[in-house]
Amino acid sequence: MNIIEAKNLTFSYTDKPLVADLTFSVPAGSFVAIAGPNGVGKTTLLNLLSASLKPQSGSIILDGKGIQSFSTAMLARKIAVVRQEFIPPFGFSVIQTVLMARTPYYNRLGFETPDDKEIAVNALKATDIADLAERQLAQISGGERQRVFIARALAQKTPILLLDEPTSFLDLRHQVKIYDLLKKMQIEEKKTVIAITHDINLATQYCDNVLLLAQGARGYQGTPNDVFSTETIGKVYSVSGFSGAVRTQKFFLPLGQYARDYRPT
Amino acid sequence: MTKLLTPPTLLTRILLAALMLTAVMLACSLLGTEHISLKKALEPSAPGVVNPDYEIFFRVRLPRIILAAIVGAALACSGAVLQALLRNPLADPYILGISSGAGLGAIIAITIFSELNWTLWGRSPIAFSAFVGALATVGLVWTVARLTGKSHVTHLLLAGVVVNAFFSAMIMFLTSIANSSQVQRTIFWLMGNIIEEDPLVLWTSGGFVLAGIFALFFISPQLNALSFSEVDAKAMGINTAATQTIAFVLAALITAVAVSLSGLVGFAGLIVPHGVRLVFGPDHRQLLPLSALIGAIFLVAADTLARIVVAPAQLPVGVVTALIGGPFFLVLLVRYSRRIDWLAK
Repeated sequence: MNIIEAKNLTFSYTDKPLVADLTFSVPAGSFVAIAGPNGVGKTTLLNLLSASLKPQSGSIILDGKGIQSFSTAMLARKIAVVRQEFIPPFGFSVIQTVLMARTPYYNRLGFETPDDKEIAVNALKATDIADLAERQLAQISGGERQRVFIARALAQKTPILLLDEPTSFLDLRHQVKIYDLLKKMQIEEKKTVIAITHDINLATQYCDNVLLLAQGARGYQGTPNDVFSTETIGKVYSVSGFSGAVRTQKFFLPLGQYARDYRPT
Repeated sequence: MTKLLTPPTLLTRILLAALMLTAVMLACSLLGTEHISLKKALEPSAPGVVNPDYEIFFRVRLPRIILAAIVGAALACSGAVLQALLRNPLADPYILGISSGAGLGAIIAITIFSELNWTLWGRSPIAFSAFVGALATVGLVWTVARLTGKSHVTHLLLAGVVVNAFFSAMIMFLTSIANSSQVQRTIFWLMGNIIEEDPLVLWTSGGFVLAGIFALFFISPQLNALSFSEVDAKAMGINTAATQTIAFVLAALITAVAVSLSGLVGFAGLIVPHGVRLVFGPDHRQLLPLSALIGAIFLVAADTLARIVVAPAQLPVGVVTALIGGPFFLVLLVRYSRRIDWLAK
């Protein structure tokens, strides 16, 4: 069953459409990567999927209903969005930040219920940051902050997680930890995970399906091993490089003309 | 395991701050050029005999102190709200043009309609004109920002800056053609000055400001999320448009009331929320009520200083708050601008 079905999506900020006639579907409980070069409309697509933007034409069906028919509150029960991490201007602590996801469920005085607290604490445990609960967001590392925002999305208790480059600016260990966490959410909580990413190698290792957006073309869809062929990558990203396989999965290393192993094709 | 804010803690802190406010108000009402005793002021006097202690305490000092408390509470609370809405720690209640709008209203009343002599509900034409000017300006800035569409917050700030500059020019123009007594009154008004007012004024504006602060408390959890980011708050299921509109309207209303009472008292709305945040954290459920109470304490104390420091003459209270607030603001500016890039968000 498809939890999201996008049909003939078109969106543009100018006369030239950024997202043009895009059709794809996301099976419930799958892990999907959205990849593509800069400026191809990945974040715009995320904004369309989270209904912060309206498509000029085409439709998004969420759980069998048009996404525009969802109220803000109803949509927040279906989709949680993790945007790129940032330091907020005021010194909120980790636990306060995660609890914000429960705001629509607070009691009449505007305070969290014991249930809300339990959900928030569980989200901290799931993301492995329970010991940071009292720290301020400005005092922790970027990787930890990314986990806080993911924990906040988990505390929303939605079947769908939407993430915008969750591993950018993170070191290798933290990249892997985030992907492990997302995979765990997919397996243990049966969540549908949709992540924008530039890291096609990690996406290949973790994701079920890939939506590779390309400039002025329909884009490519399928399993990572099918979509991320050297040829397709070369065409979409205009880059050449070395491709191989780890065991079962492919990998691709981009090489520019001054790279030591560069060979003109 | 966590030290989260609970209703009993919040209530205790609010009560303690309210107690402190009462104590400060009482202490300040006994300070001044005339030495009075509380005991004598409360003594029943024989009919027809004037009790000077009673007159000074109840008719001169207490009304002024209550007025300072109302203004301080309104400015500090509205400052906290605007900082959250604009996601900008350097915002204050005047940032969206309220000050220049109210100033223009006041100076129009002082110079052009100076022959008007009526009062309505105890308020002078200057107060009304300032109130209307303040609200009209916020309305104008809000509309302009809405018309520009996207990234509402940045455009609000820019529209506020431009409107402020334009109205300030008009204030200067009117000041330059005014006569000297009008100029004197204008300057006192612009500096922020608290004088004794009719008890009716205290009741109406006090009630109004209190109701505004009370209503703001009920959207404070939403303000917590909004102070992070608008799209995030919306994705979490918060009706951001409604929250923003309610918060802006209430903050503008209580600021306009404060400004119409006291003129432009600077810095109280900026530094008090920061002080409270520094000690008690950024949670708006606590920040709003405590800022209001501590803002009241701050302005009562500042106005008492203004009364006694060059006695028998009096300073405008805005001079005192600016002298304390100016250096504090510079420290904040250095501290925050290092790590906050609010224009980009």
